[in-house]
Amino acid sequence: MMKQVSLTVNGEVYEVAVEPWWTLLEVLREKLYLTGAKRGCDRGDCGACTVLIDGKAKLSCLTLAVKAQGKEILTVEGLAQDEELHPIQRAFVEQGAVQCGFCTPGMVLAAKALLDRNPTPSEEEVSEGLSGNLCRCTGYTKIIEAVLVASETMERRQETAR
Amino acid sequence: MIYRMPKFEYLAPKTLEEALSLLSQYKERAKVLAGGTDLLVRMKERKATPAYLIDFGNVKDLDYVRRDNEGGLRIGALATHQSIVDSNLVRGGYEVLADACRKIGTPQIKNMGTIGGNLCNAGPSADSAPPLLVLEAKLKLASAKGWREVALDRFFTGPFQTVMEDDELLTEIILPPVPPRTGGSYQWLTKITAVDETLVGVAVLAVVDDKNGIVKDARIALCSVAPTPMRAKKAEEVLRGREVKDGLIEEVAMVAASETRPRSRADYRRRMSAVLAKRAIKEAIATAMSHGG
Repeated sequence: MMKQVSLTVNGEVYEVAVEPWWTLLEVLREKLYLTGAKRGCDRGDCGACTVLIDGKAKLSCLTLAVKAQGKEILTVEGLAQDEELHPIQRAFVEQGAVQCGFCTPGMVLAAKALLDRNPTPSEEEVSEGLSGNLCRCTGYTKIIEAVLVASETMERRQETAR
Repeated sequence: MIYRMPKFEYLAPKTLEEALSLLSQYKERAKVLAGGTDLLVRMKERKATPAYLIDFGNVKDLDYVRRDNEGGLRIGALATHQSIVDSNLVRGGYEVLADACRKIGTPQIKNMGTIGGNLCNAGPSADSAPPLLVLEAKLKLASAKGWREVALDRFFTGPFQTVMEDDELLTEIILPPVPPRTGGSYQWLTKITAVDETLVGVAVLAVVDDKNGIVKDARIALCSVAPTPMRAKKAEEVLRGREVKDGLIEEVAMVAASETRPRSRADYRRRMSAVLAKRAIKEAIATAMSHGG
């Protein structure tokens, strides 16, 4: 039996009718047309479906849509402010951390969750923070560099703001 | 790969009583959902197809780590692995549990997966089990008829099997107080898989008397080397009450390895049990020595 749920995604409230067995990933992609989150392995191993729920990196392929009610969901589509890329997105582009791009939305969000908790991570801490996101193209080197560059940019912005 | 979740009726009780009542009503036709990192995968694989899914996750006040009146620790069944890693109560003698939880899965899985779910899933390679075994954890199991406490040592009955009845829920993990000069260590090797499932895991808890270098108490537990997580009690006997000397630790580690009953990659697992047990014993003793108590 379909349930009416209110999903708050990227600051907007969406009213959707869902079956209880639909995953958040399916609802984001197929009902809200937010196709940033990807169906990679669909079983919690690859991280391509990563979204932030109340600030924490979680796997939308293993989250039932009905459970996401009342939470703040952030997808990659919610990162850029108007036309300006988030520093993490900009760093990924400028450092060459994107090849096919399939892992990128999940990586960027996992990186954001990491930097929100630990604004000045070491290289090892970045690796650990991204350990739930697999990439078949890049070999991770540029991705880690991009996150480190982004952390510096974001720290400098914090300094200027103070 | 695209999985289609099987259909089910979704129930979201708001209180423990409601959840227990639903469970006693539907019993084996229902499955309980906590973090979803094990159950939803099994459902996608059609290894579990419950008619009813009881979402335990909305029940309040089951996600906690707190001290109890005896100076021990109480952990709610819905505490996530990450919250255990982050808690500043899971330190000192208890830190071995946080070390194991830090190793589990990936950041996303640590944010979603619960310690209760990990134990009830009862995988032979559950990383949270060896630390909880050496800390002599007890589990609080509730049903509509009442509740009971079961020592974790008696909880697992086989791979993915426990003593839980089909109308019971795990609500709390109870850890007794640890004496001063207690140190722990968790050592592991993994299969090189996406989530690095543990191939051999060894936890050691040591209580030392630093005046004379004697190991007053020692507990050794392993995962992924037997049908269930296990204590190496013969090895503990060899270590308990003895003075720490190099040859002794080797001996204890060999005894621990001899107690394992690995099914696959048995020879390697047995040999690595000894290697990791030796490392864990050394680290646990060093940590115990450094703790002010």
